[in-house]
Amino acid sequence: MTATLDRAPASLRKAGARAPRNREALWFYLLASPWIIGFVVLTLGPMLASAYLSLTDWDLFTSPAWVGLDNYVKLFTADPVFWKVLGNTAFYSFLSVPLTMVASVGVAYLLNKPLRGKRIFRTAVYLPTLVPMVATSVLFVWMFAPDTGLINSFLALFGVDGPAWLLDAAWVKPALILVSVWQIGTSVMLLLAGMQGIPRHLYEAAALDGAGQWQQFRHVTLPMLTPVIFFNLVMGIIGAFQVFAQIYIMTGNGRSMGGPDNASMMIVPYLFDHAFRFNHMGYASAIAWVLFVILLALTLLVIRSSSLWVFYENEVRRK
Amino acid sequence: MRALHYATLTVIAALCTAPLLFMVSMSLSSDATSARGEFSLFPTEWEFGNFVAAFTSDLPTGSFLLNSVILTGLAVAGQVFVSAMVAYAFARLRAPGKNALFVVLLSTLMLPAEITLIPQFTLFSELGWVDTLLPLIVPNFFGGAYNIFLMRQFVSRIPRELDEAASLDGLGYFRVFTRIVLPMMKPALIAVGIFTFSWNWGWFMGPLIYLSSQENMPLALGVQVMYATGGAGQAPPWNLVMVGSLLLTLPMIVVYFFGQKYMHELSVTAGSDQK
Repeated sequence: MTATLDRAPASLRKAGARAPRNREALWFYLLASPWIIGFVVLTLGPMLASAYLSLTDWDLFTSPAWVGLDNYVKLFTADPVFWKVLGNTAFYSFLSVPLTMVASVGVAYLLNKPLRGKRIFRTAVYLPTLVPMVATSVLFVWMFAPDTGLINSFLALFGVDGPAWLLDAAWVKPALILVSVWQIGTSVMLLLAGMQGIPRHLYEAAALDGAGQWQQFRHVTLPMLTPVIFFNLVMGIIGAFQVFAQIYIMTGNGRSMGGPDNASMMIVPYLFDHAFRFNHMGYASAIAWVLFVILLALTLLVIRSSSLWVFYENEVRRK
Repeated sequence: MRALHYATLTVIAALCTAPLLFMVSMSLSSDATSARGEFSLFPTEWEFGNFVAAFTSDLPTGSFLLNSVILTGLAVAGQVFVSAMVAYAFARLRAPGKNALFVVLLSTLMLPAEITLIPQFTLFSELGWVDTLLPLIVPNFFGGAYNIFLMRQFVSRIPRELDEAASLDGLGYFRVFTRIVLPMMKPALIAVGIFTFSWNWGWFMGPLIYLSSQENMPLALGVQVMYATGGAGQAPPWNLVMVGSLLLTLPMIVVYFFGQKYMHELSVTAGSDQK
């Protein structure tokens, strides 16, 4: 395997091989033990416990009572709020992620042009992602304030009477989506890195073939970027489905989040309420598993469908 | 065409930064302006006293900050060192069952944290750790799957000659790790350090679940508490809330700019990973 070992006499190698192997394996398990222990105690054990709890009724204080699949049945047949929660979460995720993506591609495209002061623009776009979600949330509570907030004051300049945003069941989700679009910096930077990796000769060849700006973008930039877009899409969806802090702070500030009229209640806040406000630990565990199945299904769906539209440079297309 | 680019980018940059300028301007407003809730893009008042008031008010802002520093510092130290050690083991040492374990490690990436949330909460309650920072800090000392994966990829790209030479010189595996491999992992350590810092510094849900006494809360939760002090129907003390938000945001910006070049280095090496 290595030059040094190969130079040792064959007999010596054979005799000494087993003991060091065992020692090496022992050290592997020793050095990896924090993760292995952590996996058993903090992941595998809790995972099994959570699966069991989802089949029980448990208020934390008395012992869990076995109810079979009742929690799951109740979630889908006897809890109208849960359907609303699923709808809200899907609405939020499937609008905010693609919107952010389209905006990021546009912004990254502009930032990739040779411009003076590019660094300043790049920094400006990235800055919002450095603001922790708690600070972002309180800031946007003011921005969305119906009378004095920035957004409605701005709209008033054009004679538009802005909605009550967070206080209006029809506008609370669009408001939350706007917040997520504000933080496009991360995906812009990833896309920008992807764009800079596109070989110049592809553009030159396209230009020779008479492709204009738009055609170069459509037939060179976009296909070369699809792996990055794909990665962003998967991560974005997973993240969006787990939205929590914004909801907690911006829509009721913990007293009764998800308002008005549950219009902004999403899966994780709903799980949180059942677990830590109402002590419905079994029911909350069932919600967690439903979330898991949804995320798994979405991830697999995106991965499966990727072959239809993701283009990897090294890939040989089979016809 | 060029002018149009500039104009578009300027508008985008303005949209991205305006809320932050408002944050600064709000933090410098007087109590009266704050109560009215009408602020301007650029400060018209310069109430630097707000930065003192935030610390002398009824809320333990000093403790919020200190707790954030303790939580984040220990989380980064544990996460970086332990993940690097496990990553080294996965990248370099041969052992039966290693590949299967690596598959397990990768599959845990698919598991949302919400699944383990409730049993972990009961576990930490049993240990008497509720209302301490321990449930937020200790898990970092078991490493993180994503960080281990990232660092393993990084170590795999470091030439083996150096650590093999050291091992022939009689250095044990742990020493090879700490003396030879760890120093060469610097860009990866810094990247994971920054991820861990950003995540823990701004983490809201964990502190919300585990902490009930204000003097044990980190700043991320403290800002929410500041915001909620107004009571129902009353405007939050915007100026002090924004002082808290700025204190929460500034370290993120400082750490980002400090680590930027290392992050770049890592993304370059990670990007060239496909053989």
